[in-house]
Amino acid sequence: MLIEKDMNLADVLHHDHNLIPVINRFGIKLGFGDSTIEEICSDLNINLDFFLTITNTYHDPRYFANSHLKSFDVYLLVDYLKQTHKNYLNDRIPYIARLIKQLMEDTTEHKASMKLLENFYKEYVNELTRHIEREEKVVYPYVLKLEKAIDTAVFPDELTHQVKTYSITDYEKEHENVEEKLFDLKNIIIKYLPPTSNQNLCFSIIHELFILEKDLNEHARIEDTILVPKVESMEYVILNNKN
Amino acid sequence: MAKATRVIIIEQAYLLAAGLEALVGELHGVYVEHVYHGSEPNLTEKVLGHKPDIIIVDPNSLGEQFFSIMKAFQNETDIKVVGLLSDNAPNPIKGRFSHQLNRNHCKFDLLEDLKKIIGNDLEKKPSHNQKLSNREIELLKQVCLGLTNQEIADKLFLSVHTVMTHRKNITKKLGIKTVSGLTVYALMNNLVDIREVENRG
Repeated sequence: MLIEKDMNLADVLHHDHNLIPVINRFGIKLGFGDSTIEEICSDLNINLDFFLTITNTYHDPRYFANSHLKSFDVYLLVDYLKQTHKNYLNDRIPYIARLIKQLMEDTTEHKASMKLLENFYKEYVNELTRHIEREEKVVYPYVLKLEKAIDTAVFPDELTHQVKTYSITDYEKEHENVEEKLFDLKNIIIKYLPPTSNQNLCFSIIHELFILEKDLNEHARIEDTILVPKVESMEYVILNNKN
Repeated sequence: MAKATRVIIIEQAYLLAAGLEALVGELHGVYVEHVYHGSEPNLTEKVLGHKPDIIIVDPNSLGEQFFSIMKAFQNETDIKVVGLLSDNAPNPIKGRFSHQLNRNHCKFDLLEDLKKIIGNDLEKKPSHNQKLSNREIELLKQVCLGLTNQEIADKLFLSVHTVMTHRKNITKKLGIKTVSGLTVYALMNNLVDIREVENRG
């Protein structure tokens, strides 16, 4: 399904409820009645093209954002990605931590195994947090600097040097390690955790991990298919302006 | 679980490609890795790059390149090349395929044919033992204690290459990729002692 501006947002969510956290990151909260996407975006001052690009990319892995690529500024995208990080760190991750803690408290036997699970999850969270911080402290500021240079047509030598030494293409490779830990985490719970009486809680934890994984994958895909090409074209402009 | 069978489809006609995908999707442990139109540049390299088990080819989609591409595919003896043919396909084309699907057949027949083509393949596979061998358990312990591949090799009198092969097999059998994940597994199964792990450097 292609998501378009004259569609009812409620209908879209009935079709794909995984988009709820995505629209939250744009500041849209549930309870919008029968409004269309266009109406909601104009009420909340959201860039419509950008909204459609993100929701479509998230919704359909085969969607390619070429036609909309040029119509919004990179800072919007960076803003969105930061909101996504905030959602992980402030909501999703602590929620799963609470579920795991509850699993520990509910279990009378196998306390040691539950403790191992909890520690492994903490390790995973630390790694994810480090990865996110790196993006926010290194990658995004770099991207914003590029955009500013192009907007103002001022190209400091220092920036040109940075473009030559650190290219955004390197950054695509940096996602893997965090993914592996999440993969292990799911397998440990499904295959190796001693059977507990509270299977429903295990289901909730696994379910949340799968949703988190899907969301992280979409997040990475948005970075790889929208952010990276956009930054590559900015890098190209800057290098050619210098020479 | 036996290894999944990968299928590549070369079919220009959208409806035929969609039909083939749906057909393959009904079989257990078989999936379509990619669909090509047939007119892509460097098609042979792209297709072989997927390391497919099966390639389903509609000769109409390849046009004049048909014979040269088929020749390249047939050099790969591990891959079964299946022709999607109609009743009146000319013999020189029919003769190129060791396996065939008839596009005029009903679904039931097509599924049976496809099963037969893939079936031979499944029988040949050795049984997969997911349990760790004693050697692998010994190695896993060393990994959990924080030893490097070189240190493990020295300690167990193995080459580094052998250590790496063992590690790959352990990861494959357990479905756990990271060292900390492996450690959790080993601790849960009492293969190592928590005090030893905490003392690691």
